[in-house]
Amino acid sequence: MKKQSIASALVATAALCGAGAVHAQAAGDVMVQLGWNKIMPKVKSSDLSAPSLPGSQINIKSASALFATLTYMVTDDISVEALGGLPYKHDIVGAGAVSGVGEIGTIHQISPTVLLQYRFLAADGPFRPYVGAGPTFAKFYGTQGSAALTAVTNPGGPATTIGGDTEWGASLQAGANYKIDKHWFVDASLIKTFISTKATLSTGQETKARLNPIAINASIGYTF
Amino acid sequence: MKKFHVLTTAVAAAAFLAGCGGDDAGDQSPRVAFTQMVNFGDSLSDVGSYDVGAVALSGGGHFSINGVGATGLLYINWTEFLAATLKLTQPCAAETGLNTIQAVVGVPPVPATFHDTGATPCLNYAQGGSRVTLQPGPGNVALFNAADPTTYGDALGALTIPVHDQIQNYLTDVGPTFSPTTLVTVLAGANDVFVQTATVSAEVAAGVSQDTAVAGAVAAMTTAADDLANDVNTMILANGATHVVVVNIPDASLTPSAIASGASGQALTKSLVQTFNTELAAKLQAGPSLLLVDAFSASEDQATNKAQYGLTDVTTPVCTSSSSLLCTKNTLIAAVTPAASAAPATAANTYEYADGVHPTPYGYRLLSELVGEQMAIKGWL
Repeated sequence: MKKQSIASALVATAALCGAGAVHAQAAGDVMVQLGWNKIMPKVKSSDLSAPSLPGSQINIKSASALFATLTYMVTDDISVEALGGLPYKHDIVGAGAVSGVGEIGTIHQISPTVLLQYRFLAADGPFRPYVGAGPTFAKFYGTQGSAALTAVTNPGGPATTIGGDTEWGASLQAGANYKIDKHWFVDASLIKTFISTKATLSTGQETKARLNPIAINASIGYTF
Repeated sequence: MKKFHVLTTAVAAAAFLAGCGGDDAGDQSPRVAFTQMVNFGDSLSDVGSYDVGAVALSGGGHFSINGVGATGLLYINWTEFLAATLKLTQPCAAETGLNTIQAVVGVPPVPATFHDTGATPCLNYAQGGSRVTLQPGPGNVALFNAADPTTYGDALGALTIPVHDQIQNYLTDVGPTFSPTTLVTVLAGANDVFVQTATVSAEVAAGVSQDTAVAGAVAAMTTAADDLANDVNTMILANGATHVVVVNIPDASLTPSAIASGASGQALTKSLVQTFNTELAAKLQAGPSLLLVDAFSASEDQATNKAQYGLTDVTTPVCTSSSSLLCTKNTLIAAVTPAASAAPATAANTYEYADGVHPTPYGYRLLSELVGEQMAIKGWL
């Protein structure tokens, strides 16, 4: 309850400062946010399928991009948020037996997510922690291979390319926002997504990778 | 509400317009901009030292299934696959020739000729039969014995220039140094193993005890490994080479010819290969300029887990000719001979061996993948 008392203290302070009629995050409100999101995959990949050098795995590095959200307050406490953003460009690096190869390709992804959120504390308070959960749709596309990838899969042949993929996953979110004035607020959240992908090479082999990224983001928001 | 509408449109556009990119090959240049490749070794790296005279007449020249595209693959030897990977011109034999005995073969000999100078020098010095230091190597005309039909193949007259002399020839003709953008590959020692296993058999047959004969062979392999390490250290690395790939001897005890020699023959072969590889690894001067590729372990894994490599048969030679030097698409076992004579023998691409000891083009490709993988880990590719 300590947190809550701090929050109520903040509310009280805001009231004392004469902020006046603090605009609420109340039923019917619409909010937009614009910010920066960093996606950090926690990859567990399978070995590249045969024919291939044994134990060839991949890791997918972190990527950041601009993102935006659109939130509708269904009630004073329950909201629906749509989250999307510019494409993320991840480096694909070797892992397992090919750990140390370095970058073997790049891949772009977009992962729009819809979250059903529950917001704590008073609707007209300045500070509102929240939790959310919902589906994530991920599209992996715009891949690039490398000389190293071709060297181990099709030496002397046409360059090896990596096929894209589309997947559904589930996301859990925890965050909080803090009101700056009547319309503006700042927001930060952590999103854990449970999702896998399958990379298929033009030479026929495939590897399945459990991505399960953690995303951390910060944004500035506006309440209409 | 106008502002709101613009924002939602922007979010939606950012999320979905982005999904238009295709799959792209990316940057296919190796991390090191190699300008040329120089190869030293034996038949496993030979790209046509004997592709003259009697061998040329038969359409041979590589120690595998000969003929460009014979199995549908673009290249035959691992050095050729590697050159293509590194965007280098294809390797060609630095020295060609055959000391053919015309009376036996019916075709005249071809004098040894160097091709390692000029505008488009050929810098693959590897020759079938070459040993590390000593002559004669297997296939050398010096081993021909009219009284012994098993030596009749030697009448072709392979030059078998030892690796030490190959390196010296480069230093004399092209050197005296290696450029930092030259990739040097060295793969040798298997012919010393074959000579030593034959020596043990001959000695035992002559009454020498097995232990004494084997001890002599082990000592000879240790010397050969010391010699090769010394050649790499003092003639290649010490002369400016900064990208040197040394491939150790694959497990020759798993080859069809070793299997045919029986369990004791296989055990002797394996111990001699291991003696050589262990000594070589110990004596090579490790460092950023040297990459030692463990083909021994890879060859064992290929035999054990063949499906992982796309192989179905790791014991049957696909060539009907005794040496793959003369093997073409027209001299393959029925199982891999294509129904239409114009079609490539793609079925051979699941077999490891062309003859008793040499890989199919696909087998060589697997070696080039291993070398490519290790070069990438080293940061060279």
